[in-house]
Amino acid sequence: MANDLPRPAAHPRVAGNGGSEPDARFTFANERTFLAWHRTALALVVAGLAIIQFLPPFPGIPFGRHLLALPLILLGGVLSVASYIEWTRHQRALRRGEPLSASMLPRILAIAITALSLAAAVLSLLAPAAGH
Amino acid sequence: MPHPARPKPADDIEDRDPGLARERTELAWTRTAISFAALGAAMLRTSATAGAVVIASGVAVWGLGQLSARETQPTIRKRWFGRWHIVQLITAATTLVSLVALALALVAPGSGVS
Repeated sequence: MANDLPRPAAHPRVAGNGGSEPDARFTFANERTFLAWHRTALALVVAGLAIIQFLPPFPGIPFGRHLLALPLILLGGVLSVASYIEWTRHQRALRRGEPLSASMLPRILAIAITALSLAAAVLSLLAPAAGH
Repeated sequence: MPHPARPKPADDIEDRDPGLARERTELAWTRTAISFAALGAAMLRTSATAGAVVIASGVAVWGLGQLSARETQPTIRKRWFGRWHIVQLITAATTLVSLVALALALVAPGSGVS
């Protein structure tokens, strides 16, 4: 068991993960970030369901609502898994005292929301014209 | 003493009892549990069963949060049931629930063409 822990014998199973236990406050902060992303993911899923259930159909555009709702719900699932990966990376970095890696989640969210809002704008512009 | 030989990075009181950080995290868990319940409520209209199960999972999420706030084991993967597994469980729950929501969005009444 080759590691640089001060007391390796007292901590025999740490080798696979490396480092030592970080300050509990950092662990809690990492967990809160993870939870905040999960709430974001759940809110996206709720938004997707609400579009299907409460929005009237776009006249003349088949599956117009699905075009907005399904990507929102899928994005929720993707954010959930991605934020777990981030949590593990950050926790490992904290254990090893390494700098935290840049998060990929804000970019994913920003690109997806931009694309979806453009799609919503296009749908809204097309719908009344098709209704005439 | 549950963890007699746990090495400590620093023997300071905030590390043993990070009071406010722990409390903030507990509140974050509560908000997440409420989010689960809200999603369950949104599902009720399409499928009462799915909605009820997701609302119940909100209660389970709150329970996991209580567990997490009291968790004192090191944050490493190979433990019987530690922080790693709590985080994994929530991820699995959210992913599963979003897949169920996807299915519901496809079969929802009035969700056909146009």
